[in-house]
Amino acid sequence: MLILICVAVATIVVLPALGRYGAYIVYAVTIAAIGALALNLLIGYCGQISFCHGALLGVGAYAAGNFGNAGQDMSISLLAAGVVTALVSVLVGLPALRLRGLYFAIATLAAQFILEFLFRLLEPLTHGVAGLMIKPAPFLGMDLSNDRGYAAISIVILVASLIGVSRLLRTDLGRRFILIRDSEMVARGMGVNVALTKLWAFAISGFLTGIAGGLLGFTTRIAAPEAFEIALSVDYVAMIIVGGLGSLPGALIGAGFVVLLPEAVQRFGESLGAATQTSAIREMVFGLLIIVFMIYEPRGLYALGGRLARRLRAPFRRAGAASQLAKSEGVN
Amino acid sequence: MLMARGVTIRFGGVVAVGGMDMDVHPGEIVGLIGPNGAGKTTFVNAISGTYVPNAGSIRWQDEDLVGRTPNRLARMGVGRTFQNVASLSDLTVLDIVKVGRSVRGAGGGLRDLFASGRRQDDELAQKYLEPLGLADHRNTPLQMLSYGHRKAVDIARALAGEPDLLLLDEPVAGVAPAEAFALAGFVKKIRDLMGCAVVMVEHKMDIVMCTCDRIVVMAGGVKIFDGSCAGAQSDPEVRRVYLGHA
Repeated sequence: MLILICVAVATIVVLPALGRYGAYIVYAVTIAAIGALALNLLIGYCGQISFCHGALLGVGAYAAGNFGNAGQDMSISLLAAGVVTALVSVLVGLPALRLRGLYFAIATLAAQFILEFLFRLLEPLTHGVAGLMIKPAPFLGMDLSNDRGYAAISIVILVASLIGVSRLLRTDLGRRFILIRDSEMVARGMGVNVALTKLWAFAISGFLTGIAGGLLGFTTRIAAPEAFEIALSVDYVAMIIVGGLGSLPGALIGAGFVVLLPEAVQRFGESLGAATQTSAIREMVFGLLIIVFMIYEPRGLYALGGRLARRLRAPFRRAGAASQLAKSEGVN
Repeated sequence: MLMARGVTIRFGGVVAVGGMDMDVHPGEIVGLIGPNGAGKTTFVNAISGTYVPNAGSIRWQDEDLVGRTPNRLARMGVGRTFQNVASLSDLTVLDIVKVGRSVRGAGGGLRDLFASGRRQDDELAQKYLEPLGLADHRNTPLQMLSYGHRKAVDIARALAGEPDLLLLDEPVAGVAPAEAFALAGFVKKIRDLMGCAVVMVEHKMDIVMCTCDRIVVMAGGVKIFDGSCAGAQSDPEVRRVYLGHA
């Protein structure tokens, strides 16, 4: 946890030295990490597979945009977006009280399309297909509406959410999430109120999702339906699978990977002068990655890193053991 | 006290329990025994809310228990353990005990969000894990434990909910004899310590005889004996059910 805070502070300190592009990369990854953290809480810790995360981010963006355009401070708008999205998330989660596993995942797929439809339909709030323009808003009275400011705000929020979620997992509620993921039947038998616990998972995950969505809205200055389509939901599921289901660092690693990979592909394509072809590869690469990780390392890059570290350390340990042996033999 | 009257549970045409009566008084350990298929576990499942009886009434502290969900029952002070315990969980022994504690509505709730709670952990471990020989395993994930230990964790989990009525479904089935007697001794100790009533479904007669204050014998879904341990051993009907015609 201390390392995390140090990294965050270091990044904020380095920010002014980064160009606009560098700052953009930082906040893009950070906001994605907040969203991935929220989804990992739901899927990785509570076992509720959801494919409407993209639409929920959209709800957050529209909500924050409307509050911001009405003249609210950015901090207030983000909190409000969190609350609104938490409510919508609970609504989406209602079928989970009856459906389990893949069946519930399909219900969330339906929710994704219903929300997309509503984005286009509720014109007074969303401005329909054209999208809602979001005016820059001050953050706690300060004007931080530039790339570096957004990066700093996102990092602070990410660190706060990471600490919050890691603490939450150590409470009775957090333990119930994990118990429900491991076996709903056992949890019920032990006297856990499964329905209520699931709804809490949706509410808390939704709150974080709303904040991430709000940040997306403020940074891109527009909330339009095509930005929050099913592809975005799939991206987020890819993040937590590639990063690591049920691990907090996994959400960060996954977000970094999924956001940076297309950037890298883009640069690579530009250098070859074939940007359109390479960006088409992107979706394919994600699909392949999900399959590969599901088969070889369902616990994602985070677990892979841990295994690698152990393997790298092993020769040293063996050397240590050998010297111990040498010592004991010397005594004899 | 628990008062069950005329409890009947049918599965299609099969009458698993047919008009069972049973009383359990506060602080009493009652052994519920009987041959395989006698309906013991089915009856206990009816008390703990897993099945809804087709007929009859079950009352606990003058409240109707029929049709309550397990989490509602836990709040009313009825806890139970399972014949087959959970095995696949990353949660540690202490985590499971904390889940058990929380279902009575006591628990730390969201207070743990800000406190580290290490002292509280020690307290829980001493109270519920040490007597069951689990003190060294408090941070072991459930799936790393032996079957006997997992059964003990299940009991610790149920106890942490501070039940007034504890239903133990075959607590020592499949557990090595030495561990079994330790577990049985612990059941007695709990009762003395916490004053809860215990209903114990069990096959091992020696365990039942040395633990229970009273014995209820079931056969074919009905009660055929209710009385002292010594009485059960000399009762002709019980002997007939267990040993065949004398």
